[in-house]
Amino acid sequence: MSSLEPRGPLASRRRRLLATAIDGILVPALTIVLVMLTDVVEDAEDYVDNVWMFHVLLLAIASYLLLNGYTLWRTQQTLGKRALGIAMVAAAGTTIPWWRLVVVRAPFFAFMYLVVVPPLALLPLIDHLMIFGKGRRCLHDRLAGTVVVRLVPS
Amino acid sequence: MVTGTLTAALLLLAGMAASAGATCEGTRSQPGLSQFYAESWGIDARNTRYQPRSTLSSRNAATLELKWVYGLASTSPRSLPLVSEDTVFVGDGPRGVVALDRETGCERWLYPHDGPISSAIVPAVVGERVAILFNDRRKGIFAIDAGNAELIWNTAIDDQPIPWYSGTALPVGDTLYAPISSVEVAVAMNPLYGCCTTSGGMAAFDLATGEKRWFLPTIPDAPKRTGSHWLFVSKYGPSGAAVWGAPSYDAARNRIYFGTGQNYSHPTTDTSDAIFAVDAASGDVQWHRQFTANDAYTAACNNIELNHPNCPKPTGPDVDFGAPTLLVHAPSGRQLLIAGQKSAEVHGMDPDTGEVIWSRRVGRGGIIGGVHWGLAANESLGLLFVPISDKALEGFPSPGDPAPGLYALDIETGEQRWAYSRASRCDETECVFGLSAAVTAANDVVVIGGMDGMLEVLDANSGTVVWSHDAWREYDAVNGVATQGGAFDTHGAFLADDLLFVVAGYGYVGRQRGGNALLVFQVRGAVE
Repeated sequence: MSSLEPRGPLASRRRRLLATAIDGILVPALTIVLVMLTDVVEDAEDYVDNVWMFHVLLLAIASYLLLNGYTLWRTQQTLGKRALGIAMVAAAGTTIPWWRLVVVRAPFFAFMYLVVVPPLALLPLIDHLMIFGKGRRCLHDRLAGTVVVRLVPS
Repeated sequence: MVTGTLTAALLLLAGMAASAGATCEGTRSQPGLSQFYAESWGIDARNTRYQPRSTLSSRNAATLELKWVYGLASTSPRSLPLVSEDTVFVGDGPRGVVALDRETGCERWLYPHDGPISSAIVPAVVGERVAILFNDRRKGIFAIDAGNAELIWNTAIDDQPIPWYSGTALPVGDTLYAPISSVEVAVAMNPLYGCCTTSGGMAAFDLATGEKRWFLPTIPDAPKRTGSHWLFVSKYGPSGAAVWGAPSYDAARNRIYFGTGQNYSHPTTDTSDAIFAVDAASGDVQWHRQFTANDAYTAACNNIELNHPNCPKPTGPDVDFGAPTLLVHAPSGRQLLIAGQKSAEVHGMDPDTGEVIWSRRVGRGGIIGGVHWGLAANESLGLLFVPISDKALEGFPSPGDPAPGLYALDIETGEQRWAYSRASRCDETECVFGLSAAVTAANDVVVIGGMDGMLEVLDANSGTVVWSHDAWREYDAVNGVATQGGAFDTHGAFLADDLLFVVAGYGYVGRQRGGNALLVFQVRGAVE
């Protein structure tokens, strides 16, 4: 990923929340479409040994990589961020290696859904509550070395 | 679900720690195997649920005292114990099957098994070995050596892709008859699933080897595509007609009888909500009789307001024959085949032809019963004991007034002799009084367990309560596991000599209190 210098103020928490909500809906929505197109849960045979769970997981990862991974890597914006006019940039103004996006930042997207599982909700809560700290950076921002800014017309 | 898994894991760890305790040192590992107090789920192969080898009666029931408690490793235990002269065998959640000293509750052996044990434990002679059989709901039927807990065989069918081995198999001679239902009733809750293609059935296995002899699907026609929803998801039918309950055996005619559940999709068939009579040797259908037509339902209908695409329309009332059939003799000598339905109807039939001799409705009925798990009969008194649940499913309409309780019917005529009911213990859903569990008869008593956690012994002649026990409490278990009672459900009580065995706690359905207690009561004397 090539690094962009921050071109505006820090993104507001509201814009970040809305962008996350959009992405949080689009990725599973694409997963469902792919599941329907590929029939991986449509036949009784798919439920032998619960192999359907593995297939759905693969399609969910593919959906993430298509909608979030690729777009973040290429444009530093997911569809949600693009809709809200915000972008992810390197905090230190340096290049963010692609592996850091995959290994560090991507898993947190999956963790987000754990908020509905009470015993495991602490992780996404901590991740997102850290946005109220200095620099408006979630835990995944800090670990990945990123910051989210508002794009302003040049 | 995660909470349940964690609870089970904690219970498992506690059980492992406790089993190493010192109080049970010296317990002999070899069980006595010279006599078993049941030959099937229904105590006898006819499924009367009458225990002739019990001393429990209306004269001594008031002296029943808690003898020992074993803490099971599941809060929704679903295994009916089997008792020999000195041992009780029972499924212990994710631990497997345990053999416990019948006097102390101390463990003789453990057969480790990771899977949902869903059946009664039944005895059988497998080859030259004395064995016990049990079902894993997903993995099939297991035969293990009753003496040393060695696996002899594990068998399953390959005729259906996702069978559920929910009902207890019946060993007769050299053959094992296994009812087959289907996971599809629950898988249909996935709106992306193409509902539905599977059929229930009855399978016969060689008892010595576990090899399949025949499989009789209750829907002989292959399913066809009938439409689609959401553009891409196909619909199929016919399907369903699962067999949930243990078959009953007719030695004179060499037949087995069993009931079926509803269809899962349209078109419906004339084999759903029906009773089958099948030649035990060949698997040929001798007759079948349907009692409720056009009953199509899956778990996707549980909340009817969701308008789930896998809830078949028109939607049926879901009134399976979940409870096993009974082959009984009336005092006149006439033989009747009895079947209780989730509609709260009970039917008496001529076993030769399936002709209906009498039918009687004794409750409102519904998805959790009407008759849910099983009836009992006392042939010498000429009485049939019918437990009625009448618990409503919150998301599905249940028109009419519930009438939970126990009903005693005349075997010969179906006329009601007496009825027992009582108020719920509080207003919460988990307090609802109703009898989902199977009932057990002996001498002049009937043992019933309510979904509200009350275990009661009734006088079989009058329906009056002669003893009761409130299982909504914690217990000190012999194996040191944190143990609490809960709803009585599923297979009900097991009687042997002066002992009463029952599992307290079943939180699997209908918002009721889970628990993990295997309770053993003993008659202490006679009351004059």
